[in-house]
Amino acid sequence: MAARDNHGTSPPWGRSFGVLGQPHRKLDGLAKATGSAVYADDLALPGMLHAKTLRSPHAHARIESIDASKALALEGVHAVITGRDLPERYGVIPWTQDETALAVDRVRFIGDPVAAVAAIDEDTANRALKLIEVRYQKLTAWFDPASSLAAQTDRIHPDTKGPGNLSKHVHLCFGDVDGELAGAAHTIEGEYEFHGTTHAPIEPHCAVAAVDAAGLLTVWSSTQITHYVHRALAKVLHLEAHKIRVVQPCLGGAFGGKSDPFSLEFCVAKLAMLTARPVKMLYTREEVFYAHRGRHPMQMRYRTGVDKDGKLRAVDAKILIDGGSYSSFGLVTTYYAGQLLTGPYHFPTYRFDSTRVFTNKPPCGPKRGHGSVQPRFAFEIQLDELAGRLELDPIEIRRRNFQGDFTRTVNGQRVTSNGFLKCLDEVERLSRWKERRGKLGFGRGLGVAGSMYISGTNYPVYPNDMPQAGIQIKLDRSGLATVFTGGNDIGQGSNSMCAYIVAEELGLDLSAVRVVAADTDLCPVDLGAYSSRVTFMVGNATIDACRKLRGQIVQALAEKWQVAKERIRLIAGQALDLEDAARAISIAEAFQIAEARFDTLGSTGSYNTPTLGGDYRGGTIGAAPAYSFTAHIVEVDVDVETGQLTCENVWIAHDCGRALNPMIVAGQMEGSVYMGLAEALLEEHTLNRFGLHAGPNLLDYKLPTSVDTPELYARIVESIDPEGPYGAKEAGEGPLHPALPALSNAVFDAVGVRLRRLPFTPARVLSELRAAGVDAKRHAQAGLPARAEKGAR
Amino acid sequence: MKSFEYLQPTTLEEALAALPTSRDPKERERVRLIAGGQDLLTEMKEHLAEPDLVVDLKRIEGLDKIRVQSDGSLVIGATCTLAALEEHAHVREHFAVLSRAAGSVGSTQIRSVASVGGNLCQRPRCWYYRSEQIPCIKKGGAECFAYSGLNKYNAILGGGPSYIVHPSDLAPALVALGAEITLRSATQQRILPLERFFTLPSEGRVQQENDLGPGEMVVELKVPSLPAGAGTWRSDYFKVRERGSYDFALAALALALLVDDGTIRGARLCLGAVAPIPWRADKAEALLVGRKVDDEACRLAGEAALAGARPLEHNGYKLDLTRGLISKALRQLASS
Amino acid sequence: MAALNLTINGDRLETAAPDHWTLLEVLRYRLGLTGSKQGCDKGDCGACTVLLDGQPVLACLTLAGLAQGRAVTTIEGLMPAHAREGKSGADPVQDAFDRCGALQCGFCQPGMILSARALLNANAHPTRAQIRAALAGNLCRCTGYTQIVEAVEYAVAVAAGVEPAPRAWETPRARLTDIEEQGTRRPSGQARP
Repeated sequence: MAARDNHGTSPPWGRSFGVLGQPHRKLDGLAKATGSAVYADDLALPGMLHAKTLRSPHAHARIESIDASKALALEGVHAVITGRDLPERYGVIPWTQDETALAVDRVRFIGDPVAAVAAIDEDTANRALKLIEVRYQKLTAWFDPASSLAAQTDRIHPDTKGPGNLSKHVHLCFGDVDGELAGAAHTIEGEYEFHGTTHAPIEPHCAVAAVDAAGLLTVWSSTQITHYVHRALAKVLHLEAHKIRVVQPCLGGAFGGKSDPFSLEFCVAKLAMLTARPVKMLYTREEVFYAHRGRHPMQMRYRTGVDKDGKLRAVDAKILIDGGSYSSFGLVTTYYAGQLLTGPYHFPTYRFDSTRVFTNKPPCGPKRGHGSVQPRFAFEIQLDELAGRLELDPIEIRRRNFQGDFTRTVNGQRVTSNGFLKCLDEVERLSRWKERRGKLGFGRGLGVAGSMYISGTNYPVYPNDMPQAGIQIKLDRSGLATVFTGGNDIGQGSNSMCAYIVAEELGLDLSAVRVVAADTDLCPVDLGAYSSRVTFMVGNATIDACRKLRGQIVQALAEKWQVAKERIRLIAGQALDLEDAARAISIAEAFQIAEARFDTLGSTGSYNTPTLGGDYRGGTIGAAPAYSFTAHIVEVDVDVETGQLTCENVWIAHDCGRALNPMIVAGQMEGSVYMGLAEALLEEHTLNRFGLHAGPNLLDYKLPTSVDTPELYARIVESIDPEGPYGAKEAGEGPLHPALPALSNAVFDAVGVRLRRLPFTPARVLSELRAAGVDAKRHAQAGLPARAEKGAR
Repeated sequence: MKSFEYLQPTTLEEALAALPTSRDPKERERVRLIAGGQDLLTEMKEHLAEPDLVVDLKRIEGLDKIRVQSDGSLVIGATCTLAALEEHAHVREHFAVLSRAAGSVGSTQIRSVASVGGNLCQRPRCWYYRSEQIPCIKKGGAECFAYSGLNKYNAILGGGPSYIVHPSDLAPALVALGAEITLRSATQQRILPLERFFTLPSEGRVQQENDLGPGEMVVELKVPSLPAGAGTWRSDYFKVRERGSYDFALAALALALLVDDGTIRGARLCLGAVAPIPWRADKAEALLVGRKVDDEACRLAGEAALAGARPLEHNGYKLDLTRGLISKALRQLASS
Repeated sequence: MAALNLTINGDRLETAAPDHWTLLEVLRYRLGLTGSKQGCDKGDCGACTVLLDGQPVLACLTLAGLAQGRAVTTIEGLMPAHAREGKSGADPVQDAFDRCGALQCGFCQPGMILSARALLNANAHPTRAQIRAALAGNLCRCTGYTQIVEAVEYAVAVAAGVEPAPRAWETPRARLTDIEEQGTRRPSGQARP
């Protein structure tokens, strides 16, 4: 198994890095910039057919019959499939496999896939869809999670245990919560609401399948989980897995929205098998909204008690989660909603009760900051409310409750490095918080919030004892290293990360490293791009594989030169004898010497997390080998006449362990904050009374543009974690969390009104301002608002 | 998108000859005119418009021109792009509200091809109207689903039996400026005040937003200079939207003020995005004349402009917002 | 089906496509120029932005027939145009995007880069606000736009022959105590047996 413990966090052969820590270009940057990078929809195979999906017009109905004969008779149509052709269930979590590629007997939301057509072109396929006759018997549709939980009839998944349309219930209690609340100097209770958002990657889902004469099926898909798609295809198609190859081409954004197996992957595969022709399916933007798996709407009630100094004594949470129509990652979501809140603050006691309910809406799933963005929103506002009650600076209350590093949380999670205090210091200093907070005049304010997030998870979605990340490296006599990784580069730059590590370890120029990724025929398994695990796990596996090769090269040179191994350095495309400069040779020659000495050069490396987690059912969910920490300060301007919030500046400090490429880390931080602010200010996954998406397009679902995004100041904090590759932790999800509550807290600083329900659109803000008695005139008078808290007891 | 025939006439007469003169809406829908196509193509992709023939107006010489008359007034051709209108030096100087309204539409890419005529004749953005699956009253159905459904973006004024808001940004600006619109058919030409071109759903033809008759098309807009008087006219377009680009307005105000030594001598107010037509606030205009811009004037103007407003379940905020917008715009323009 | 005479990246091409096909469909599916991306197909995202006579337009909302007789520039055209001027490598805007980390998933970038190119062709020294305004028709879901704006500023500086301003992340990083000491610390609470 991976010799992680021997890696250390710095180069054992020197004091400083040659490649890491620098703002190198990405491997694929120029290909993307010049338009030559190939994404799934850019593939065109000879004789390729185009497939389209017929979707349910009803939110909940039984399928009585499907007659596709007229569609099949249409010229240019090659095949039509329905749920009967692909009845095998799948689902990313093995315990809750409740999806089929096409609906079998029952549809559960408007947009649920019912049939698929392969035809010579999209127009013909679309015409054929209109000729498929489906008879439905409508059932009661459940849209409200509370009533869905009480459903007695027309249950959405009749084979689940219930009660009602329960998807998952988790109740965990750590310590005497009631006793601590009773003894607390101050308790505060409040209700908070997260409204539901979606990922909206700019690239719609697309898959292409081809079957060769020998029966080998290849599926190219815009997925972030090649390995799970591979497993699911084998299961659903009843094929041996070795006869299936899954390839992820260049991917146009995912954010968790492409981390389930999707209907289109099975449909193109089945249609290619039936027609013996390549088949492509590209989702329309509307279909991307139906595929969804977006962030769950949550109704949250928090009760928090503190002592007279503002130290937390107990946190008690009750959360109702609207899951939509299928399980997806919902089991994990239900745990994460509670499990991931226990940092960066010390919780002496904690209880959470979270309930996920099925409803007849597009299925929710994991979106960047899976499960924990919503509770973080609630809790960080509540901390601010407590600070107000105690007349404490909101940063001070966070400092006082800091959990420390190298510690254990109340729910049994092991925390290693923790740079949260430094993050608070940095944003406080950069924003000039002390001089400015509360002094910017009515309508303008500053707000702070913090968070923590997992850097990988020790829980693979299917239990097994094999590595979570594997790497192979092949060295060529030309001085080239080729890295084979199952990791999915979804734009976060994980392929580049592998190359940086290999270049560092083997002394190569970056131009001498190629990365072959996310191809199940060629690459060892990695579980995929989710849970902020790729840099951490694949990075560690890469170091592991490099150390083996480096050992061989150094040994071969030491033997040939008759010098001690310690004298040999591999750096910048050369092998050097530190004590004899004349001996320098190119790295290609060094590879050749090692190949002559040892045999063809190649190695494998892998990573598995240590055994982690609390010793109770569910204790491993949320257990990560390391955690990242973040603090934000948001500056907002509130227009009390129009209800418009203008977020002007955001200072972001994020503890990412070690920044392997600070430019990429900053890009992840900035992108996270942008996405968090988008959810706070603009985005809303709105369904109408029929359960039909109100505006499934990028005009009505409002992604912020360049003029809506504030100046973002990313400040990297490096805590150098003993577990991560060279000390690195995640940077792509954690920095999203504080944006939402920090904005709400800034609005309170600006106008004295607490926004506890998202999103903060002009409509919402105006009604909250008016309800709190803030009228437009106050703006002109520039008087200070009464800071009395409404709604908090 | 359904396939269609494509005609590229080089004269207006040729284009007009292609338009059906039938009163039957189905027959009329068989032919659609395209200039920038920025609204039409989205409707075609959403299967809301499925013409058999599309007539491209961009090859008709002169139809895209802006002409400045000797009296300073404007004649704007129907296929003039919003970018050209926004950037036109005379428009910027003397009709700022129009330049600013044009510049607030969509995105750079959209403005570089979208036409003035197309902007005035674009179809509503109501969620229910735009959804292929919903048989709403704008599409010949029986019900306005927004009335009792999702209506945060819908009308607070002039609604019923449909509650759409008119989506155009140019319309309020042109109405405030007192523009006239020229309509041509193969046999006749009509010139009418733009304000009268737009029709309320209660006026009978619920499926269209204007008075365009069979065989007619928009040819040009005439924009008179604002009447001379003591002081100087200032004008601007104020648009509240959720995003700073792409978005249609939650509420908008085209405002022109003739201010002399702090006193308003003339006023033009037209609201956008609050009613199925651009909503001229003539009562507010009248009561502003002779006043200075102060809290009282702002309050009175807001009240007058919104008189008779009947918000729906989710759009009551538009009352507050529009009042806020009017008062902010008055103060800003008066002090500029 | 109609014959189309198009001028793409300086080449006069003849092809044929159904009348209702957009310029985007013809570029991607007839001519194999897949650098122009389809993100929404409704004019709401800007990923399909191409230059028509130098102006950024949405290829998904442009009927192919309407592009006849006009010069179309796609993302694939920038590097060859740069080479025709006797220069090597990518167009400086493309290069700046790569250098500045502006490319994450990259899907919006062909359109974004063409919008930036059109801006710089018209205005060699745009302000930050002008850059943001010029790019407001191109949605990016990855970057939060910061590194994109920085990339355009970088390209402006390079073209002007001046030192590019430091980018937002280039401030010194904050470190906790001594790095190597931290790295050797072991977790106090050991892993569960």
